[in-house]
Amino acid sequence: MKITKRYIAAFAALLLSVPAWAQVPAPAAKQSKPVLLKGATLHVGNGTVVENAAVGFDNGKITYAGPQSGANLNGYEVVDVTGQHIYPGLIHTNSSLGLNEIESVRATIDWREVGDFNPNVRSVVAYNTDSDIIPTIRANGVLMTQLTPIGGTVSGSSSIVQLDAWNWEDAIVKADEGLHLNWPAMLIETGNATPDPRLRGRAEAREETLNQLAKLLRDGAVYKSGKHDSENLKLAAMAGLFDGTKKLYIHANYGKEIIEAVNFVKPYGIKDIVIVGARDAMAVVDFLKANNLSVIYSGVHALPGRSEDDVDMPYKTPYLLHKAGVPFALDYDLSIHGIRNLPFIAGTAAAYGLDKEQALASVSLNAAKILGIEKQAGSVEVGKDATLVVSAGDLLDMRTNNVTSAFIQGRKIDLNNKQKFLYDKFDNKYKIDTKGVVN
Amino acid sequence: MKKILTIAACLALGAGNVMAQETFPRNGVYDERSGLVAFTNATIHTDYKTTVTNATLLIRNGKVEAVGKSVKIPAGAVVVDAKGKHIYPGLVDMYTSYGLPEVKAERVGYGSAPQPETAKQGAFNWNQAIRPETNAVELFKVDKKEAEELRKLGFGTVLAVHRDGIARGTASLVTLAGKRENEVVLKDRAAAALSFDRGSSKQDYPNSLMGAVALLRQTYLDAQWNEKNAAREQNISLKAFTEANKFPQIFEVTEKLNVMRADKVGDEFGKQYIIKGAGDEYQMIKEIKETKAPLIVTVNYPDAYNVEDPYDARRVSLAEMKHWEMAPANAAMLHNAGVTFAFSSADLKDKKDFLPNIRKAIKYGLPQEEALKALTATPAKLLQADNMVGSLNEGMLANFIITSGNLFADNNLILENWVQGERYKVTDVPADYRGVYTLKIGQQPDRKLMIAGTAEKPELKVIAQDTVKGNISFKGNLVTLSFAQDKKNKQSIRLSGWYDAQKMQGEGQLPDATTVKWSAALSEAMTDKAKKDSAKVADKIALGEMIYPFAAYGQAAMPKQEAILIKNATVWTNEKDGKLENADVLLKNGKIAKVGKNLSESGARVIDGTGKHVTPGIIDEHSHIALDGVNEGTQAVTSEVRMQDVVNHEDINIYRQLAGGVTTSQLLHGSANPVGGQSAIIKLRWGKNPQELLVEGADQYIKFALGENVKHSNRSNLHSIRYPQSRMGVEQVYVDAFTRAKEYDKAWKSYNKLSKRQQGKTAAPRRDLELEALAEILNGKRFITCHSYVQSEINMMMKVADQMGFKVNTFTHILEGYKVADKMKEHGAGGSTFGDWWAYKMEVKDAIPQNASIMHEQGVVTAINSDDAEMARRLNQEAAKSVKYAGMSEEEALKMVTLNPAKLLHLDNRMGSLKPGKDADVVLWNNHPLSIYAKPEKTFVDGIAYYDLERDEQLRQDMEKERVRLIQKMLTSKAGGARTQTPVTRRTTVEHCEEVEHSEEDAYLAY
Repeated sequence: MKITKRYIAAFAALLLSVPAWAQVPAPAAKQSKPVLLKGATLHVGNGTVVENAAVGFDNGKITYAGPQSGANLNGYEVVDVTGQHIYPGLIHTNSSLGLNEIESVRATIDWREVGDFNPNVRSVVAYNTDSDIIPTIRANGVLMTQLTPIGGTVSGSSSIVQLDAWNWEDAIVKADEGLHLNWPAMLIETGNATPDPRLRGRAEAREETLNQLAKLLRDGAVYKSGKHDSENLKLAAMAGLFDGTKKLYIHANYGKEIIEAVNFVKPYGIKDIVIVGARDAMAVVDFLKANNLSVIYSGVHALPGRSEDDVDMPYKTPYLLHKAGVPFALDYDLSIHGIRNLPFIAGTAAAYGLDKEQALASVSLNAAKILGIEKQAGSVEVGKDATLVVSAGDLLDMRTNNVTSAFIQGRKIDLNNKQKFLYDKFDNKYKIDTKGVVN
Repeated sequence: MKKILTIAACLALGAGNVMAQETFPRNGVYDERSGLVAFTNATIHTDYKTTVTNATLLIRNGKVEAVGKSVKIPAGAVVVDAKGKHIYPGLVDMYTSYGLPEVKAERVGYGSAPQPETAKQGAFNWNQAIRPETNAVELFKVDKKEAEELRKLGFGTVLAVHRDGIARGTASLVTLAGKRENEVVLKDRAAAALSFDRGSSKQDYPNSLMGAVALLRQTYLDAQWNEKNAAREQNISLKAFTEANKFPQIFEVTEKLNVMRADKVGDEFGKQYIIKGAGDEYQMIKEIKETKAPLIVTVNYPDAYNVEDPYDARRVSLAEMKHWEMAPANAAMLHNAGVTFAFSSADLKDKKDFLPNIRKAIKYGLPQEEALKALTATPAKLLQADNMVGSLNEGMLANFIITSGNLFADNNLILENWVQGERYKVTDVPADYRGVYTLKIGQQPDRKLMIAGTAEKPELKVIAQDTVKGNISFKGNLVTLSFAQDKKNKQSIRLSGWYDAQKMQGEGQLPDATTVKWSAALSEAMTDKAKKDSAKVADKIALGEMIYPFAAYGQAAMPKQEAILIKNATVWTNEKDGKLENADVLLKNGKIAKVGKNLSESGARVIDGTGKHVTPGIIDEHSHIALDGVNEGTQAVTSEVRMQDVVNHEDINIYRQLAGGVTTSQLLHGSANPVGGQSAIIKLRWGKNPQELLVEGADQYIKFALGENVKHSNRSNLHSIRYPQSRMGVEQVYVDAFTRAKEYDKAWKSYNKLSKRQQGKTAAPRRDLELEALAEILNGKRFITCHSYVQSEINMMMKVADQMGFKVNTFTHILEGYKVADKMKEHGAGGSTFGDWWAYKMEVKDAIPQNASIMHEQGVVTAINSDDAEMARRLNQEAAKSVKYAGMSEEEALKMVTLNPAKLLHLDNRMGSLKPGKDADVVLWNNHPLSIYAKPEKTFVDGIAYYDLERDEQLRQDMEKERVRLIQKMLTSKAGGARTQTPVTRRTTVEHCEEVEHSEEDAYLAY
């Protein structure tokens, strides 16, 4: 480790005169020859662990994943990763990565459009593949994200991208795969007490929003059936909801909101619903099960919602969801730069009861299933994209997470980033200062 | 705690004089009457503890002329036979807004345009919230409607307080008589009023509680200075403040913690405030008692919550539930603790609740005599008006109430309220019609009519084939009844008529629209016993346990300090020994007693540490938990504000962070100003009061801030006003502030050098709390934690420090510290940074997760801090990131959240490592402490396990049981007809309340 660091430092010193170097590395070229990683512990992503495993891939697809003993080495460039761990590339759901660079600088924000109902808005066209942040996220093992627009009631369509591309078109794994509905916050329950007039105004506004939403869903369903006389961008964008080709992601946290939202949209024939946020999920776990709902659970690293809650409630909710049999993925919604902590979100879930392989699945295969890309991604299995991570130690623990190489669709990606560049630059400055060497 | 001065009696009233409008010309003939009235045969409560039966009260000219058993009734007196009735002194409410204009509190939110200067014209104080020049008597107007409302409650005299601002001027003692202002004002300036609330002021400062504390303290100092140096500055407000200081001082607060906060200010300036509280004082009874402050106690008990819906019920906090149950016991608990208090009807949404709520306080254990005292003698005495009101002795005002019986009995009625000798009728004695009647309606078969309930609220039952409930009401001798025909047929029979000679009769209408004649003759009057039984019997009062703190995870009994021996653990000493395998740690008397192998200690509780790890407690150098307000985000320099004034020991995040292994936190001011406020360093002694949380004898710190937040960069264009708006200006703010501080320091030093005699001839410099704190920095008595990001500003700050002759103790955040680590080392500054934060704003775009490591490598004392209530629970993991990103050794990484922050806080002589003699602030982990899989099983502070995984489980169960009990009780209460309120989500409050939104934004600014 130390040696590597010094080596890189020296190398960096040589290249200081090339300013563009290492800020946002160039995407890797298409896989040109078959590669086989051998000797590692393979964490498939589906709960299985294979000791002393080998993973082969060719043309961007996995051709072998299993015990090293069963691998056919012919024609493969063999890379010895003995003692290391292989994981599927992690998938970050409900993400704003690439839609914003610096949140306090308005000019860099591309995640929200004007208006309350924007089903026609598509996040993928705003995706900035040259974001300085993206390479730092990859360096910890996160290789795919779901680009999610935010704000308003219907914020638009999300797409799934891989994190090593020249442009947004190249990055697409699955375009416009779901619509995002932010359920209006349930502000006050009807009771016999007189609510604050300001609250009543809010409740009325909410009622109006729900009326408009109902109209949008109704009109969208009719539009889809083909009986329309003029083109309507908003209604057209909703068509997939009614035949199951597009998912509806409902962002809701409070238990009653989840129940209300699902019961609200179901009568319109929405086929595929995912609950996002769901901080209160355990309060409505039977409802989630009865309705076969999947959950993208946000906020593992969050404070409990109520003072009375168990102090570790957000940490152990993934375990409790698993125990209850609710399919779920975990996201990281605290900041964009912090998405690189996604493996540690899973790690926390494991520290609080979830089996480690299940924790891994919550940011890989289960995420892929929820996003509908499990045939292509999410686990290290034959036939899937060779999107995987090699780490010297347990990927889910920051103490051991050390990504030594990573592949996206078989392409070995450059793990360097702006931060490593700055580190080397200044580390080297002090070394030169102390040694008195003038370069 | 200063004793209240008792001013000699008889100041305001020349004995025997008639309060009249002598100077006013009459339009007509003089019509003065002496109002000589004798009330005979009454039970007279001459004062709260004296009752004379069968007595006479004689009044003349609005005053009591005589009272007692053998009063001679002079000729010409109107004699009123008060047989069977009680007479009490008129009640006194010493906290009302009676007769004063409404105060519109200004809501100044985060988005509002700043108003740095006062908008009030004239030679007044610089700050609009300081308005001691206000005299309520000048604003006071008799208000007939309001007076009647208060008289109905039994009050005869009230203090009229203009509740606007921090220094509110003087309040007037007035009666509730419907006379001209000149007659009803008893004392034009009876008291002075204060608070922490800036009221109608739109001026920016102060926008925090700690700012209000500082402003008030500075006002005392300024007033003292102004008095001695009158020629230096003409200031109407400061003069008035000095003048108002001569009266009893009434301080209004909105919650129990502010009682202590106010009292502390009073102590500093030799004032014992009378404190008007919010009804939650019982929650901190020990501390309240210690203030020795007399209280004005409200009886604004919360309504029960609607808790039928389990989801909604979860939004009601344990503290809210317990307060609902215990609030009526507040007065009894205060009395038992020996606290002097007066009752007030203030804050009641519905004033009609006043007497019923006082009665409730009695049911919850307050002796009746004490209740009466708190309504009469105590307020009169506190206002130095006990020579006029509060009892019915000779020469006192003829302010009294005539009641149907014991004032505190549920069925008592106030019949008349006499104020200054004037009679105000309140209620009639209701005729008691209760009993059984035989009801005849037209040709229908006889029914039985049962009238029960109370005399004033009779309840009706009609018995025929079915028994149905009905409605009956009397007005004079007129009666109205209605009841359902029978159980099946809900249509009503309606009757109207009159009562005469034990018989009711009249006309009515049946559901089929036929009119009928009816009569009901009394067959059997209700017996006294039945009458008693008929009144609802109160439930026995049973209250839940008092818990400390009064919040979720509060406990009835605090965990105890004990001798603890942890055996066979991996022990991270942070000392020369490094990490010890299979080692033992002994905690005794709150200290680390021994660290080593094969230790034994008789009497110690042994904990098996096999497979576990022991580390020093985590120290968070940068925290904003446990505070009521973080930013005084107004002026560029606010070194006068102190976080220790606003520590809130009930913040659940204290407990949650204990669960993450944190034992000590530095509570910092936010980053809104180049010079922020003074820090507070606390230990997380969950359950102890704010004062007890403070680390004893710790060095004093202050927060500075640089960059975008102090430039207001990320705020609306409205905020492009305050100096500084650039990093250039930030430097000048410091140079200017420290230049002034130097001059200030010099002035005081030369003044202090003078002999006593010389000092007597020389005017002392004005004490300035802001400059005083800066001078402490110059004198090495206060240390700086400076929020900083980019290298230019870090460098600038150190150069300013060099120029002015002080050191920057710690740069916090310091995300570009790695660029200037050598310069920091040279200056001697430490760095307290984040594990991996960056890119959330422009000034952190060059931040790197290897920052801590580079600073550490360069010899800078480096810590990892949270600045985040959630992340503080995982600081060990944040430290581990330096192992991951920069290959730091694990022991050095752990030191970044233990020993190094202790060094930065100058507390490494007692914290930060496992060394015998240091405080027993220790964490027992189930796993390697830098691993994501590690969680604390026990967290000790001073050798006390404030967090214990097993007890945590028990606490959760107990809490849930207590909640369920309270929920059931609320449901029962609701079923019994009690008023209820709807739980409101916290989120609602955040979105709607500008104040909360403001603090939310402040939290962001704290980054």
